Order: sequence, then C-alpha cells, then structure tokens
Amino acid sequence: MNTKKTDRLSNPTRRTIVKGLAASPLVLALGANKLGAQELSQMSSNTQSSNSEFVNGVSDSQIVLGTSAAFTGPSRGLGIELYRGAMAYFQDVNSKGGVHGREITLKLYDDGYQPDPAVNNTTKLMRDDKVFALFGYVGTPTVTRVLPLLKKFQDENFLLFFPFTGAQPQRQLPYGPFAFNLRASYRQETGGLVENFVKVGREKVGVFYQADAYGRSGWAGCREALAKHNLKMVGEATYTRGTQYTASLKDQVEWFMRDKPDAIVCIGAYAACAAFLRDAVDGGLQIPIANLSFVGSENLLKLITDDDEIEHAEQYSQFLVNSQVVPSYNDLSLEGVQLYDEFMTKNAPSAPSEVTSDDEEYKTFDRSFVSLEGFLNAKLMTEILTRLGPEPTREGVEEAVFSIQDLDLGIGETVSFNEDRRQGLDRVYYTIVENGSFVPLRDWDSASNSWTEAASS
Amino acid sequence: MMKITRLFQWTIFGIIGLFGVIGFTNAVVTITAIDQDLTREARENSQDIAKAIADGNVDILLNNDLSTLQSRIDQMLSLLGSNGYIYITDENDEIIAHTFVPHIPEQISTGEITGDIIERTLKGKGDFIEVSHPILAGVGGNVHIGVDQGDVSLMIQGAMGNQVWPLAITFLVAIVLGILLVNLAARPIQQLLHYAVALAKKESVDEPHNEKLLERKDEAGDLARLYQYFALVADPNRSGIDAK
Repeated sequence: MNTKKTDRLSNPTRRTIVKGLAASPLVLALGANKLGAQELSQMSSNTQSSNSEFVNGVSDSQIVLGTSAAFTGPSRGLGIELYRGAMAYFQDVNSKGGVHGREITLKLYDDGYQPDPAVNNTTKLMRDDKVFALFGYVGTPTVTRVLPLLKKFQDENFLLFFPFTGAQPQRQLPYGPFAFNLRASYRQETGGLVENFVKVGREKVGVFYQADAYGRSGWAGCREALAKHNLKMVGEATYTRGTQYTASLKDQVEWFMRDKPDAIVCIGAYAACAAFLRDAVDGGLQIPIANLSFVGSENLLKLITDDDEIEHAEQYSQFLVNSQVVPSYNDLSLEGVQLYDEFMTKNAPSAPSEVTSDDEEYKTFDRSFVSLEGFLNAKLMTEILTRLGPEPTREGVEEAVFSIQDLDLGIGETVSFNEDRRQGLDRVYYTIVENGSFVPLRDWDSASNSWTEAASS
Repeated sequence: MMKITRLFQWTIFGIIGLFGVIGFTNAVVTITAIDQDLTREARENSQDIAKAIADGNVDILLNNDLSTLQSRIDQMLSLLGSNGYIYITDENDEIIAHTFVPHIPEQISTGEITGDIIERTLKGKGDFIEVSHPILAGVGGNVHIGVDQGDVSLMIQGAMGNQVWPLAITFLVAIVLGILLVNLAARPIQQLLHYAVALAKKESVDEPHNEKLLERKDEAGDLARLYQYFALVADPNRSGIDAK
C-alpha cells in the first residue's frame, strides 16, 4: 500500500488528482499513515496555497470538476469504470500540460447510487468545494434529485456535464437548461429495442425495471415505443434498487410466466439484472432479455459467467441482448476507440481508492462500454475547456459548448450543440454475447431465430 | 403477603371491583378515542400526501415526465410506514407510476378504482386503507395512497400501551393503598378483640398497647372501656385492671 501511494506521487498526473483531494480530512488521514511526513507536509502546503488562489474551481494551475457517483455498493462498477475511462483521457491531457496550462482535477464523492447522499455531495461540491462544473454523475434517481440544486444555484452558473443516465429530466424543461448530455436517451434505447423486437415478430414485450426514477424512465420509453405500434406492455415487474446478485427474483419471473411475453426489456443495474436473467432462464423463461447501456454490460456478464455454481454460463448469455450508447470497444477501426484502447493501456487508470471501500472487492475491466463512455465524456469536456480559452469562467461555458458543431469524437458520429440540442449523440448500438464477450448485433432476424432455437433445445 | 381483615373483606373486594370498573371504563373510552383519532389521522395524512402529490406535480404530469414523478412519490413513500404504497393513474385509469415491488397487485391492476376512501385486502401484503385525490379535478388522473392497516394497528397498539400501562399501575397502587387503609382502620378492632379475649380469659391486660386502646377517644376506646366495666362488674376483686 505504501508503495502504491508513493508511486502515485511519483506520477505527475496522479499527483494532481491527489492534490485536489488532499484538503479532505479523509485523504489527509489516510495519507498520514502512508506517506512520509515531509511528503505529506509538502502536499498539504501546496494544496493550501493552491486553494487560496481558486476562484470558482479555477486556479493558475488547476481546474476542478466535481463528481458524485456510485463508488461503493452493488452498482459501484458503474461509477468506477466511468471514472477510469475519464481518467485515462484526463491523465493524458494533464501529462501534456493540461488545458491552457491548467491540469484537470476531479473532486470525488461517493453516493452509493442513493439520492440523499448525491444531494448532500452536490451541495458540498457547490458550496464548500466551489468546483467549476459538475461532471460524470451516475444514475437517474441521483441525478433527478440533484437537478433542482442546479436551478437553485443558477445565479452561480453551475452546469452538469455528461451524466451517466439517459433519463428525460435533464433533457427537458424545467431542468434541461442546466445539463449537457453526450449519450443517447433511454427513450432512444428502449425505442430502438422495442422497434427491433417488433420487427422480428416479438410483439409481446414485458418490462422488468428498478422501482425508482430510472426504472420509470425506461418503462415510459418502452410504453411509448409500443404505443407507436398500437401495442401494450405484456407484463411488468419491479425490483428494489440495490438488489444484489445473490437475491432471488423468482417472484418476478413467475409473474412474467403468467403473461408469456416474447421478449423482456430490463431497466436496471447489473447485479439485479444478472440475477433476473439467471432466475428467468432457470425458471423456463427462455426469451431474449434486453438491457440498457446503464446496466454495465461487462459487470453483468462477469456475474453470470463467474458464478461457480453455474455449469453452463452460455445458457444465460445466449438470451442476452444489450443496447449501448457507444460503439464496441473492440472496433479498433474507429479512431476514437483506438485512442481509448491506447490510453487505457498507457495510463492504466485504477479505481479511486479515496472513495471506494476496502471491504468491497472490485476487479476493474481492461475495457468496457462504461469506461469508453467515460473516456468520450472526458474528451468532450476537455474540448469545451479548451474552447473556454485561457480565462475560463462559468458564465462562458454555454457559449463554448454551443460553439461545438459537427465535432468528430472519432466514433463515426459527429457532435453538435445549440440552445435546443443539449445531447451530443443519438445513436444506439445493439450487442449480443459471443465467445464470452459482447459483439455487435447486426441481424435481428437471425438473432431471433437463434433465441427460438435455444429455447426449444 | 398482605392479610385482609375478615371484617372488611367485602369492602376490599368492593373497592377492587370499583377501581376495576373505573379503570376498564376509562381504558375502553381512551382506547376507542385513540383508535378513532389515529385511524382518522392516518387517513387525513394519506389524503394530505395524495393532495400534495396531485397539486404539486401538475406540470410534471403534463410534461409527461414520469421519472421525476416517480422520484417525487419515492420520496413520499417513507411517510407511509414500512408497507404503504402510492400509485398514480392517468385520465384513462392506467397506472403510470407506482411503488409496488415485485409487481402491481392483481386486485389493483385489474380492479375498478372507485371512491375517495376504500379498504382493500391485497394478497400477501395485508389490509389497506386507500385514499385517492384527483389531479386537475380528475382530468389529469388520480393519486392513490395506501396505508397498511397493520401499521395503523401497531401505531394504535403503541398509543394504547402508553395509556394502559399508567392505568394498570394506578389500579394496582389503588388496590394496595385500599388494603393498607382498610387494615389501618381494622387495627383498633383487632386490638379490641385481643383485649376482650384477654379479659374473658382473666389474663393480664396490664400492657402499654391496652393502655393506649383504653385512652382512645373513638368507638374502639369506648368499647374497650365498656368491656373493662363488664369485667369489673363480673369480678369486682379482679386485679391488674386500672379502671377508666
């Protein structure tokens, strides 16, 4: 551990991040055990002198963004991977001197994917830490509750950038003007999934969802998409946020068995969705089970394939179809994905030990859809900060964002923003599992046939 | 063990009975009042919550922002106890947001939704009081709030416990005090009895407690002096009697 922290300090990019966090008593307390007295003294005094020069999250050498996300609990994989992806890019920017001479620092707080801590963390970020902007939040129930704070402090021009949620509240009035999104919305994801299921004759679509704002957002998207075909949902069941993989979801499966849907769309996080997939296939509900991008595909796949009690992991994964809002991280023909691949190897970002729990083991993924999204978020954020010029102010942020027109992030899609368009990307990608990893789903008819065959065999 | 004088046994039983009747009547009246008050309060709270949701989220409903609506009802759910529920129906009585896990109970998804206040039994969940409040006079749908009658009963039992314990303790203290007071009243009669027996057996009565008895100004003292008189009349030569 000692070595780890010393290494961190010897790396100039990491040091910047630690420096930004060093003011927190937790970090100082942890650091006191692990660092030499001289190193700690130097780090604190640097931070204090830097802090005294901060104006709205900007100093001569740093620009501080605030993040509240799930770094602990059953959905911690989402927060950790999103952070790692972003850091892969920011570390590279910082190692080259930052943006207009300022290194990008993230001030992190853990909310465990719970709304109340998210609100408290955001208040701290706005009032105490006075960060430049909010960046990389995770989850609908958390972000939905945070949005009114942005309105409350609108005079201070705080904006939320690229939250890891496709819900509507930050895409429409009254809170839409306080956020910018990169990813496609849940409406687009659920709409696409339903559209494709209906096209292949699977018109009886059921919805399994988290009993909260996130689940409701996806549920509403499915309902809307079905209504376009004069169809209604065939069965719906819910689960409580925070449900672990070890939980039994047989009640929900039995409920669906009554209605006999042709396909199920899950609006949930990986632990519960993996448990549902397991219980559904075991219970004879052998139909395609789709998940949205938020699920954390790799985490889900890991759960259903790593379980020692599962003899044939593929029997679960063969029914899995996940929508994504970024292209496959294996598609190295895309320049942006290539860069992501290179930076993830070169910078090898680790989980943020300052906010994760030692009691919860977490093994990071070399590559994942979530970290790729974090990477693209960071790339676009860096572009915005660059466009803000050498004297960045919160007041100038919107103008800088709106100056982005047809920006190529290297994923085959361009990004544009204006007053009426505060979401960068619209494309939804579909993936299935082959040979233990997610691959693009290109032919829905063929996939539907294989689901039918798998069920009959 | 506290001994009850035979003379006052029925008096004691009467006092206990009287206290019992008073305590029981008091408890029944209090419990009935608590039951009615808390049941009414639970209904009124539910109606207030339903009204707050219905009136405070009209814009959200009109914008069809169901995730924010869900977030609002999730926040309210904690006010309804461990097993309460909230669901919102649109103008076509279709449920557009709810808090049920693992699914919407069949009685609700298939049943007709009628009345401002109804009582329901949901399979596997219990008995509920369900109140409704219209959104935009009903054209925007309705908010429905379910409060578990088990939770209300527990609350009532808790309040009753708070009332019954003091009553029971008062009852017991009153009985003990009653017995003590009766025994206190019976003590001169017991002394008188012992004095009379001693006179009859011609035993020595020259004792300090007998002196005190003979000096009493009440009926016990009068009777003691009368027995003394009879004893002297019967045996004028009897010694050890200081005639009063």
